[in-house]
Amino acid sequence: MGRRILYFILSIFFLSAVTFYMARLAPGDPLVSYYGDRAKKMGPKERKWAEEKLGLDDPITVQYIRWLERAFQGDFGISYKYKTDAVEVIKGRAGNTLILGGIGFVLIFVLSLLLGVLCAWYEDRLPDRVICKIGTVTSCIPEFWLSLVLILIFSVNLRLLPSSGAYTVGGEGGIGDRIRHLILPMVVVVAGHLWYYAYMVRNRLLEEVRADYVLLARAKGLHKRSIMFRHCLWNIMPSYLSIMAVSVSHILGGTYIVETVFSYPGLGTLAYESARYQDYNLLMVLCLMSGILVILCNMAAQVINEMIDPRMGTAPATLKSRKGGRLANKR
Amino acid sequence: MNEILEVNNLSVSFHTLNGDIQAVRDVSFSLRAGEILVIVGESGCGKSVLCKAIMKLLPSAAKIRSGSIRVKGADITGYRERDMQRLRGKLFSMILQDPMTALNPVMPVGTQIAEAVKVHQPKITKKELKKRVIELLTLVGIERPEERMNMYPCHFSGGMRQRSVMAAALAGNPEILFADEPTTALDVTIQAQILNLLRDIRHKLGTAAVFVTHDLGIAARIADRVAVMYAGKIVEIGTAEEIFTDPRHPYTWGLMKSLPAFSKGRDELYTIPGMPPTPHHLPKGDAFACRNEYALAIDYEEEPPVFRVTDTHYAATWLLDERAPKIPSGAAVLKAADLRNGGKQYPAGGVMKTGIKEEILLDVRHLSYTFSIRDKLSVKAAEDVSFQIRRGEIFGLIGESGSGKSTVARCIMNIYRPPGQGAAGGRGEADIRRGSDMEASGAGRILYKGIDICEPGQFRRNKRMLETTRQMIFQDSNSSLNPRMKVGDIIAEPLKIHRINPPRGSLRAEAEFQMRYVGLDAGYLDKYPAELSGGQRQRVAIARALTMEPELLVADEPIASLDVSIQAQIVNLFRHLQKEHGFSFLFIAHDLAMVEFLCDRVGVMYQGKLVETAPVKELFSNPKHDYTKKLLSCLNDIRYAPI
Repeated sequence: MGRRILYFILSIFFLSAVTFYMARLAPGDPLVSYYGDRAKKMGPKERKWAEEKLGLDDPITVQYIRWLERAFQGDFGISYKYKTDAVEVIKGRAGNTLILGGIGFVLIFVLSLLLGVLCAWYEDRLPDRVICKIGTVTSCIPEFWLSLVLILIFSVNLRLLPSSGAYTVGGEGGIGDRIRHLILPMVVVVAGHLWYYAYMVRNRLLEEVRADYVLLARAKGLHKRSIMFRHCLWNIMPSYLSIMAVSVSHILGGTYIVETVFSYPGLGTLAYESARYQDYNLLMVLCLMSGILVILCNMAAQVINEMIDPRMGTAPATLKSRKGGRLANKR
Repeated sequence: MNEILEVNNLSVSFHTLNGDIQAVRDVSFSLRAGEILVIVGESGCGKSVLCKAIMKLLPSAAKIRSGSIRVKGADITGYRERDMQRLRGKLFSMILQDPMTALNPVMPVGTQIAEAVKVHQPKITKKELKKRVIELLTLVGIERPEERMNMYPCHFSGGMRQRSVMAAALAGNPEILFADEPTTALDVTIQAQILNLLRDIRHKLGTAAVFVTHDLGIAARIADRVAVMYAGKIVEIGTAEEIFTDPRHPYTWGLMKSLPAFSKGRDELYTIPGMPPTPHHLPKGDAFACRNEYALAIDYEEEPPVFRVTDTHYAATWLLDERAPKIPSGAAVLKAADLRNGGKQYPAGGVMKTGIKEEILLDVRHLSYTFSIRDKLSVKAAEDVSFQIRRGEIFGLIGESGSGKSTVARCIMNIYRPPGQGAAGGRGEADIRRGSDMEASGAGRILYKGIDICEPGQFRRNKRMLETTRQMIFQDSNSSLNPRMKVGDIIAEPLKIHRINPPRGSLRAEAEFQMRYVGLDAGYLDKYPAELSGGQRQRVAIARALTMEPELLVADEPIASLDVSIQAQIVNLFRHLQKEHGFSFLFIAHDLAMVEFLCDRVGVMYQGKLVETAPVKELFSNPKHDYTKKLLSCLNDIRYAPI
């Protein structure tokens, strides 16, 4: 465990350094995000003064060390664009993203498992073919187009659902209002990611179904249902969890297009803008957050996988399975 | 009539893009309660398909074309999946070839057995269920079952896994047990244990068994009756005694003669010429005709009907027709073959060994190699192993899997990092693949031509010489040959890597020469390894090693995954090549008979230690160590000695 924490700290440190240097080496003018259009009209003297004020005139390494010192004290600096504490800016929007992305993630996780199992169950028969076709087509539709079509149908024509925002401005709020605002963006988020993972589950399951132990289970007289759910599904879980762990931040934060189209105030837009306009401090916090999230999810997946599959642990069992593995490979 | 299984004229075919493949053709046999029927045949002859067809476990591409399957009088040919589900486990069950993959790796062994019990007794209480699982585990000879039932398959050894598979298969008290090569993947000693267990269970539970194997030697140990299959047909069937003392089909004669015991003391192992036909293109007439030295003209025209020899013994060969020329009976044929070579009886092993020089080529001194996992546990894969191989000598290394044979071989080939300087911790490729925190360390010295190959300085100075004159052949030709490279390129690659001018002009000419040398047609040069059969692939691996004109050849179980008849071909090839090239040869195997035939001296490894080293004749006639004795006793546990 100690070793894991050490790796964790080291990778966060590494991530922060890479982001810090990359952001500053990229072309662009950070002053624009602080002073807006005024920055373009500044003379050389004014610019120098402004840079000094923001601490941008020092060598990057010096800046980085200064940033590290402050970060250790919990001060991540101010957002150039919003002129307030970067953490405060994120706090205001994190909730929205967590709702959209978090629920979206759970939905994607469960639905792709179900779809994958369904397809594997009816391998090469009608339900499988239909689902696969729908999946191929849907994953080819660009997100923004799907969003616009949905808005057109459900908001403009049918007037069933709101077309933008996270809640009705000036309305009384409440959960119902929130949910109504969430439906369309959620559909787009889920539809965009679902098929990829469902395909993966389907293909891994089809591999498992052909394994020897399934033959034995059938020879024992087991029903197909219990073979599929109790045997095969557990066997693909480790690889599925590992993939989902990596994709957590992808689904959670990769909602830029959806947020833009639906004017949904989330972190996706914020992350995009901070990178686009050199809002360094904000960018750093966002990157560190997603980095920590990915690493934590990976750790969680690792722990769960070890519980599912004893071969992944580092108990003395490893040795026996090594021999076993070698034997199995021989054949 | 107590026949519980009757198969009549069963034909099974697979539907593929290249047309239908007849995997099982017109097979009829019956099985009595409590009887062990062994089906023998080379791989691809349809014996596994036959078993799975009876249990209806074949993929949907397979169809039963004709024939009927009757179980206890009921015709189950047309049964659907749901009906079959009720029969499986209860009426018949199955154990598979590879115990490493037959158990679900993420489910405790006890649970896997318990669910098999539960299927047939859904209302069983938890307590009774546990009792039954323990009972089953005890039945198959697993000690401390209470503890073991909660362990996962990866905590079990191969033999224990096969026992657990058996326990799961026996959970529903089946009347018929199909065993699909259950011992092929196991060590000799474990093999004997599993066979004994099968006999025990038959005595205790009265379970009948259909046992599929490619090894006639195994058939001799357990069979009540034997059926010999070739190209999807049963060519001969009879009681074990009839088959082993009075075989009638030329193919059965061939199989018998292929047993290494039969060729004892002879210069070459007998092999059936040619290869089994592919089921895509079955020849006209008798499928075996082109490999049959007694083939008659009619064999090429018409398939032979089944002739009755006795009430229990039938064979499908024209030789039994009244009009056929009289050939002495099987026993006599085998005897005659014996006599033909009888004039020049050589002592076992060490045959015509004039090539061995006194010069010591390889000197392994006190080699130890330890794998350790995160300081918690370490395993001594090799411990204080010392032996020498002289120039031109064939040294055999035998022992069960996990006894450290491969570790020694890999140390010799520098695949595992030099153990020389003690702390030099290297990682075996196997461990890197698993991504575990396995560390390895070793000690000792390995001298090759007087050079300490474990010492980095000396190794670097002689790198080129060491890399060109030592070559290795692996067990699994399937994974040791790059599937994306053509055979010709694989063979010539070492020359390319070391920038050696091919002695026969071009790389291609060189590859062609080596191919012919190991008995392969030059037409295979442009094929990919996957298009070749196992035996052919192993020949390619040998050709690749020989391209470099090695002085030391290390072969790590090169024949373990091949059919008996192909094994004999490869061993003959080794013997022939060794005689021509005069290289020193480290031959690692767990098949004692082959080692006895091929090697000059033998080392026996047991739990990482080299427990005995002796000239082959001495070792087999006068084993000193207990483990060697045990190994040899497994070899001699045959009821029907082949003629």
